This record gives sequence, structure tokens and C-alpha cells, in this order.
Amino acid sequence: MKINILPKILNRGKSAGSCHTEDELSDNTGIAKVAIVGTPNVGKSVIFNRLTGRHATISNYPGTTVTMSRGKIKIADIEMEIVDTPGMYSLLPITEEERVARSILLEEKPNLVMHVVDGKNLGRMLPFTMQLIEAELNTLLVLNMMDETEAAGIEIDINELESQLGIPVVSTVATRSHGIDNLKIKIEEAFK
Amino acid sequence: MLKDAPKQIVYGAAIESAIDSIQKLLAGNYAVSKKAIAILLLQGDTEIADKVKAREGDHFERITEIISQAQSGYGQELSYVMAMSRQQHARDILAKTVVSQPKIGKGFAERLSRITMHPVTGIPILIAVLYVGLYWFVGVFGAGTLVGLLEENLFQDWLNPLLLDAFEWLIPVDWLRNLFVGEFGIFTMGLTYAFAIILPIVGTFFIVFSIIEDSGYLPRLAMLLDRIFKKIGLSGRAVIPMVLGLGCDTMATIVTRTQETKRERIITTLLLALAIPCSAQLGVILGILSTNGMALLIWIITMLFVLLLIGYLASKVIPGKKTNFYMEIPPLRLPRLSNVLAKTYARLQWYLKEVVPFFVLASFVLWLGDLTGVFDYVIKGLEPIVRGIGLPNETSEVFLIGFFRRDFGAAGLYTMVEDGLIAGVPLVVAAVTLTLFVPCIAQFLVMIKERGKKVALAITAFVFPFAFFVGFLLNTILNALGIKL
Repeated sequence: MKINILPKILNRGKSAGSCHTEDELSDNTGIAKVAIVGTPNVGKSVIFNRLTGRHATISNYPGTTVTMSRGKIKIADIEMEIVDTPGMYSLLPITEEERVARSILLEEKPNLVMHVVDGKNLGRMLPFTMQLIEAELNTLLVLNMMDETEAAGIEIDINELESQLGIPVVSTVATRSHGIDNLKIKIEEAFK
Repeated sequence: MLKDAPKQIVYGAAIESAIDSIQKLLAGNYAVSKKAIAILLLQGDTEIADKVKAREGDHFERITEIISQAQSGYGQELSYVMAMSRQQHARDILAKTVVSQPKIGKGFAERLSRITMHPVTGIPILIAVLYVGLYWFVGVFGAGTLVGLLEENLFQDWLNPLLLDAFEWLIPVDWLRNLFVGEFGIFTMGLTYAFAIILPIVGTFFIVFSIIEDSGYLPRLAMLLDRIFKKIGLSGRAVIPMVLGLGCDTMATIVTRTQETKRERIITTLLLALAIPCSAQLGVILGILSTNGMALLIWIITMLFVLLLIGYLASKVIPGKKTNFYMEIPPLRLPRLSNVLAKTYARLQWYLKEVVPFFVLASFVLWLGDLTGVFDYVIKGLEPIVRGIGLPNETSEVFLIGFFRRDFGAAGLYTMVEDGLIAGVPLVVAAVTLTLFVPCIAQFLVMIKERGKKVALAITAFVFPFAFFVGFLLNTILNALGIKL
């Protein structure tokens, strides 16, 4: 059953036209690609580490990740490459690191884009989610730092958010590994 | 229950119709939707515009027309208008999904956060952090106590004599044996420096740095120092690469990517190469000057003076626009021991992987230079300069090895102090000159990679004579004032 899923996933994003452009050449590895994007300091690298079991450097200031880290994992028989990116605030880059981060979206055709946001600042980060949806990227919204969000007295209706945006939403506390299993389930579902 | 279908963002009518028309004109193949390309074009994305221009040929002109036509209907830039529409849409969604009841009263963390950023309270806090973290933990404990234990007790008294005996038995030929256990031997110099001097200092620094970065103090420091940094043509954004530079300038040079303009990146790269000592240098210097408060103070004042002066001059000379600074301030958090240790371990691993082969190689080159006499020749050439700034001849060896790596040179200075070859005014002058002196080879290579050959060479060509010039000036001033240390 699952074997049939893969070719479908891998064709996603490749548009109907058959003429070869530089963009198509970068994506011939035959492995699903998941990009982690989001504003600096929301926990992208923690999530990357939790998913891959690796140790990308994490700290409490924006801009720790200035290059891409890549790791491979398997979720429900789907082999995928996870890419951790430097922070970016929107689809329109300002700094060099943002340009680096955007290149994965514009050139590598990820099969899934995980937009990680800080639950406390959902309002400020949501416009970027909307840009990703607008770009017709297969997007998954991860509300991270939910412990701090709750402590700040903010409650988020995940189901309603899912239906308003039309994309799956997961809540996590990545530093404590809360919600990571659920995240894996959503990643798996996003490939179906 | 009936749920609404997800709603799309609605931009103004003129923008929507422009998006439609552009989309229809796009014939090329793009990795994202044509709608997204159209939207980015309307927001003035030059990178996308270049791509579209290359792919669409004649149509591109028509697209440009559509964009300027759409723009003419609005008083503000389209990117601003469109951002506003998106924000409105986000607000609508938030209103339906988020309930916020802000807790009343400000917690301890909030108050602490505020006082770290206020100039009056922030500066004393910064000094306290530097005193406890850098001076006490890295300088006195790391470079003093730990290095003493490892270098004197373990290596000098026990391990190296053991190796010396072993190699005397293994290799009876003097000149060849020196490669391993001679003055510049791989074991007696390279590995001793790496593990007995550099490792404890860098290790203690990385522990302090990990605690500071995980606490969320750095962005607050950036806010605090923003105003001072503006004077030297930088913004608070430069604080993080500069503080990181106190750990390793090579790492920090890569992190300058987070800065917005090329101008800022060049100034920061220059200051990192010149006036920011790396942790090994800093630890050694704090260690050897810690017994003499006045000497340490002179070193600190000189370094700050050079940093501010060169930054100020560079900001006048290097053209480019000033940027506004805004940084997310994450909450203050209690650092987690497991994360601090894991990070320290990862950084040490990275550091040793880089440093050990280099030290071994440097030992080999120095041994070869010593054997062939080239080394003497270079040292003889350096001696007049070194004497000119009031330093003993032996210091030229330190400068020569400092050329290979900053930390290597600093470790050399440490052993000179131990042997009683240098003290007082010359020691301060040597410490200052060595701190300013050329970036290490790794940093130089990264400078080329990040800033290009021209900038990297220009910076190095400036730093090299400038370091000796400052040393000379400091020596002259201290002697003229009759200061004894």
C-alpha cells in the first residue's frame, strides 16, 4: 500500500511542464524533502534534533543557525530528508541568511514545509504561514513553545485554526519533547 | 457543526487583477506557484525579478508595466500595502481562534529583563557578568587553576618527562627526536599547548557562553549596546557575532551573515580580526595579567579604545547606509544543564578537531624551520621590530607561532611568563600587540570565503602593521609616564 504513495509524493510540486529548468535538476535524489522554516529563535533546530536525533546547536538568541543542516529519517516507511534552515521572517528576504533559507523553498521543491512558530507570537508569524499557503507549498503549522504560551495566558483553538487556514496544525513543547509523536503522525498524514 | 472553508487573503482589487494578469503571462517553469511568483514580483523582489526576466524574455516588459500600473493606484509601496492585507487576514483568523488573558502584574523575569536593558542598571550587570563569567571562571579558574594543574602537574612534571625518556630510547638521533619532544615538538609543544593550555580555557569559556546564550541575555545585551554600536557604524545586531568572537573569531566571522548590509558585515569582520580576542587568547591573557590589576586594566582600556576608534573610523570610511535595529527579545529562561553540557561538548569537539591537527602541523613546520635555519632567519628579521616596541627577543618566537594561530601564540606567551622571561610593561605591550596581531589562518580563510579575497587581504594588510604600531605607542606612552607594573 504505502509503496504506492511515494511516487505520488515525489511528483508533487513538479509542475506539468516537461522542459528542464535549473530548478528541476536539484531534485533528483528520489527522497522526500521536508523543510523546517520560521522566524529566528522559535525552536526550529530543537525540532530538527528531536526528529533526527542529531545535535544541531541550539541557543536562546535569534540567528544560531546560519547554514542549512540536513538529516535523514524514516516515518512510517517514508524515507525523508529534513532540512533545518536559518531564520526568516517572510517570503521576502532582507538579510543574506534569509536569502539562504528561502532558496530551499524556491529551488529545492520541498514535499512538505513545516512552519514553526512561537505560540505566544502567533499573530506576528501567521502572515508568513499565509504566504506559504499562497505559494501552494504543502504546509504544516507547528505551534511551538506552548508551555510559555499557556503561561502567558494565551489559549489557541487548534481545530478552528486548522479549518481557518486549511492546513494541519500541531502544538509542541519541543525542548521537553512534548507533541513530537503527534508531529510525526501529522507529517505522515501530510504525505497521504 | 458546519465549518467555514479556509479563506484566501484578499488584496485590493487592483492588486488582485495585477496578480491575475501577471500569472497569465508567466510561461516559464517555477518551483513555486505562478501566483506566488506574481505576488513576489509585485512586492519588488529583485531576486525573483532577475529570474523572471531571464525566463520570460519579451513578456517581462509587459509584467513591469502591470506592476507600475498597480503601484500607481496606491500611495504606499505595494509591499507595504500587501503586508497590511496579510496582517488584517491574520487578525481575522486570530479573533476566531485565540483567547488571550494576559496575566496581571509583571513577574520577576519581566523586571529582570527590563533592568538588563536599561543603561543605568544594564552596564553594572554587564560588568558583573564579565567579571564572574570571564574574569573569574575563565581567567582565574580556567587559565589559572586548571591550566596549572594540567600543564605543570600533569604535562611538565609527569607526562612529558615520561615521553622524553621513551623517545630517547626510541629515536637516538637528536634532530629527529626533536620533532616529537624538542622545543617545538609535536608532544612537548603542539599537544601540550592544545590539551594543557587551550582545552581548559576554551572549555570553561564555552560553559560560560552556553549558559549566557541559553539564558536569553545576548539579545538584551544587543539592545543595551545598540546605542554605543551605532557610533561605530554598527547596530546591536553586531553584538552577537562580537560576543561569539570572544569564543572563536572564525565561528563569529561566519555568523556576520545575520547582519543586514555589506557595510556592517565588513566592519564587523574587521573588528573581529583586529580587536576581539578569541577565548584561548582572552583566557591566557586574563590568566597571566590577573595577578596584576593595573596591567589588566591597561590591556582592557587599550583594547576598548582600539575597538571604538577603528570602528568609528571604519564607519566614516566605508560607504553604505545605516540600518535600523530590531531584534526579537526571547524570554529569559533558566538554562538547562543538559543542553549547556551537550553544547559545550559539541563546541569542544569541533574546536579540538580543528585545533589539534593544526597544532601538530605547526609543530612540524616550526621544527622544520628550526632545523633548516629558516626559522632563525625569520626571527632575526622580527627581532628589530620586537625590540623596537620594547619587548625581549624571545617574543618574536611568540609572534611567529601566533601567526599560525592566535591561541597558539597566546599559549607561547604563557610559557614565557612561566619561565620568567617577560613581565611588567613589556608583558602588557606584548599582550596588546598579540591580541591585535593577525587573525589566525582559519579565520583568514573564512574571511576570504565570506567577504572575498580583496576585503580579506585589505583587512590583514591593515591589521599587521597596526598591531605593532599600537604596541609601539603603548610602550612609548607607558615609559614616558614612568609607569611601573
